[in-house]
Amino acid sequence: MLVSTCRTALAVLSRRPYICQSCLQRARQLPLTSAVRPKPTSARALQSDTKPPPPNDDTPFRKLLKDAAKKKRKEDRASSGSPKVSHCDRDARLSKWELTVGIEIHAELNTARKLFSQAATSVNEEPNSHVALFDVAFPGSQPHFQGETLIPALRAALALNCDIQYKSSFDRKHYFYQDQPAGYQITQYYEPFARDGSITLYPHDFPAGASPANGPVTIGIKQVQMEQDTAKTVHQPPSTHLLDFNRVSHPLIEIITLPQIHHPTTAAVCVRKIQSLLKAVNSVTAGMEMGGLRADVNVSVRERSGQSTEQSQSYHGVTGLGQRTEIKNLASVKAVEDAIIAERDRQIELLENGGVVEGETRGWTLGSKTTRRLRGKEGEIDYRYMPDPDIAPVIVGRDLVDHLRDTLPILSDDRVSTLVDDKDYKLTSKDASTLLSLDDGERLDYYYDVVKHLQTAFADQPAILARTGKAAGNWVLMELGSLLKTEDWSETRVPSDQLASIIAHVLRKQITGRTAKLLLSTKFKGDARAVEQIIADEDMLLRPLSRQEYLDLAQSLLEEKADMVKVIVEKQQHKKVKWFVGQMMARSAEGTVEPGPAEAVLRELLHLPPADEQ
Amino acid sequence: MSTSDLEELLAEPTWSVESLLPPKTPAADAPSISTNQLHHLLRLSALPLPKTAEEEKQMLDTLSAQLHFVGEIQQVDTAGVKPLRAIRDETETAELEQTITLDTLKEAIAKEKVIGKHYKRIQRDATPVDARDVENWDVLGSAQRRVGRYFVVESERPQE
Repeated sequence: MLVSTCRTALAVLSRRPYICQSCLQRARQLPLTSAVRPKPTSARALQSDTKPPPPNDDTPFRKLLKDAAKKKRKEDRASSGSPKVSHCDRDARLSKWELTVGIEIHAELNTARKLFSQAATSVNEEPNSHVALFDVAFPGSQPHFQGETLIPALRAALALNCDIQYKSSFDRKHYFYQDQPAGYQITQYYEPFARDGSITLYPHDFPAGASPANGPVTIGIKQVQMEQDTAKTVHQPPSTHLLDFNRVSHPLIEIITLPQIHHPTTAAVCVRKIQSLLKAVNSVTAGMEMGGLRADVNVSVRERSGQSTEQSQSYHGVTGLGQRTEIKNLASVKAVEDAIIAERDRQIELLENGGVVEGETRGWTLGSKTTRRLRGKEGEIDYRYMPDPDIAPVIVGRDLVDHLRDTLPILSDDRVSTLVDDKDYKLTSKDASTLLSLDDGERLDYYYDVVKHLQTAFADQPAILARTGKAAGNWVLMELGSLLKTEDWSETRVPSDQLASIIAHVLRKQITGRTAKLLLSTKFKGDARAVEQIIADEDMLLRPLSRQEYLDLAQSLLEEKADMVKVIVEKQQHKKVKWFVGQMMARSAEGTVEPGPAEAVLRELLHLPPADEQ
Repeated sequence: MSTSDLEELLAEPTWSVESLLPPKTPAADAPSISTNQLHHLLRLSALPLPKTAEEEKQMLDTLSAQLHFVGEIQQVDTAGVKPLRAIRDETETAELEQTITLDTLKEAIAKEKVIGKHYKRIQRDATPVDARDVENWDVLGSAQRRVGRYFVVESERPQE
């Protein structure tokens, strides 16, 4: 049995649902349009305080997408005649109305035990097998705060540049729902453990071309608080629910941003960046696609001209805002972006027709065109927040905070700028971000190793040394990546020193690029020989042909295909020279003819101008 | 002091909780609680609504008296006094003892390891912990209804 990768080992040990690499890769690599995630079997609701989720949430995801596509086709056909909001109109609207978005993210912390009991945290274990008395609110049970849950929480807050509060306390948020045994959720409403942070979005975080013109965007974080998760509900139509309390009291953090986001793409990028930040400090291991992270967004619009201030709202120092609505339970980055766009358009439409935006709670399903109302102002829940008298205040020692801050892993922004700016690497920012996000960082580790080998090999050749970083990036990301495709990452398929050897041969022009790819593929398939051995065995070294040999080969070819020559010379179709180049390469042994010199010789023989003059 | 003096002193109460309750005949300007408000409060607390008008009147009267009581208590000047949340040891020594420090969490931190040759990352040891001491009890024993290993709940609202 091959050595399992870190990922599979962890998956086996934690008995997680195993997500195939292609789904994860697609989710990570596509710019913002993160791929569909396999829907968890339960109608999951992180602190859902709405009505029981509508049946839609339980239909298979495939079916949802099909229905949405069908609906869209029907509508497009029906409305093909009627006028739609044209681009000009839309831009005019957006220049009149400014969007403001605030985000609340709930993330499951990576801890061994729960927040207020010693029961173990779990994912997809046998139902009701990790439940302590307090988790089901058994009469007489008491909460016991588990200090170790602070470690990932503090790391997350430090990664978000927050001030850690010396003392914080827990409050009760009361509402009745079957997934909450106690009748209240324990959260930190009045005194959260971290406040006043920020997150900066750099151009490399945005998909190509979507980055705002004025450079990096900094979004303030109002607070980060710890709270309990709720139970898992399996809905059995029409009105039965099966409850699994394994998840109750699993620690969550809620990250609340200030309403300083003014574009849907910025909001989506913010959610994605926070997710990758939390993963980078090992606070959160399950991403959005596995249901470990959910976002709620608050959307409002206001006129840019600054009028209509009689009814303006404010939030924690940000003033002059319009009435906001809340969209709950968005489960992917794409959903965040789409839902915000739909809600913004709905609100603008409403206001332009003289209506008034109501402060309501809305929902969004994938494939919808508009958000859907879940609860209006009359249905607003009175949570009756009160400090929980059973739980002592949490006092965090300075030494703990300092230790965690000092040992915090280097954050992605610093890493990306190093990979881009440092002469050892010189990658594009897109490549750097991709490398960072692949395979939980294993790919990047591998890349560093390859570069190290190359730098040792070319220590005395500065000209080639300057190209090693970029070449290695290309090979690790593109070539090796394309071979891996749907397979898991494994650093032993092609050991880093072997890949370095291949790249070194290419850089020294000892083999052609094509040969190198062949070598890589051979090694990937499991050839145990060293790269040097394979090159020797298969005679792959580039034997540069002498000029005479090129001339002879070219001459014989031209004589053979005289009609082609005629086409090129008389009809001036000079590009067809490439065909001859290809023929020369095909007729010679693998790796002996290089396209550059071949074309130069052909052009000389045909009396054509050199390639770069055309 | 003689026994009879003591008896005289203790014969009449000098204070009664009655002083905090509303008078038997309610004052004209006493605020009234509407039926809607009462029902709202009962729903918030998941308590059953009154079945008869008499029961409702009784509830309203009780609630009214309670509000009056609270109003009287609120007359006390509490300027500069932090609200009491629980009776705890709030001495400095206790605070030091309760502080969560590096030492308190050293076991948990020791369970983490640093992975990666060049790109160093933290990874918590994900082997499941043994929590049988708190998990080993009959969780489903008090379930009113169950199916397999699940609790079963009926939601009263019909689904959309």
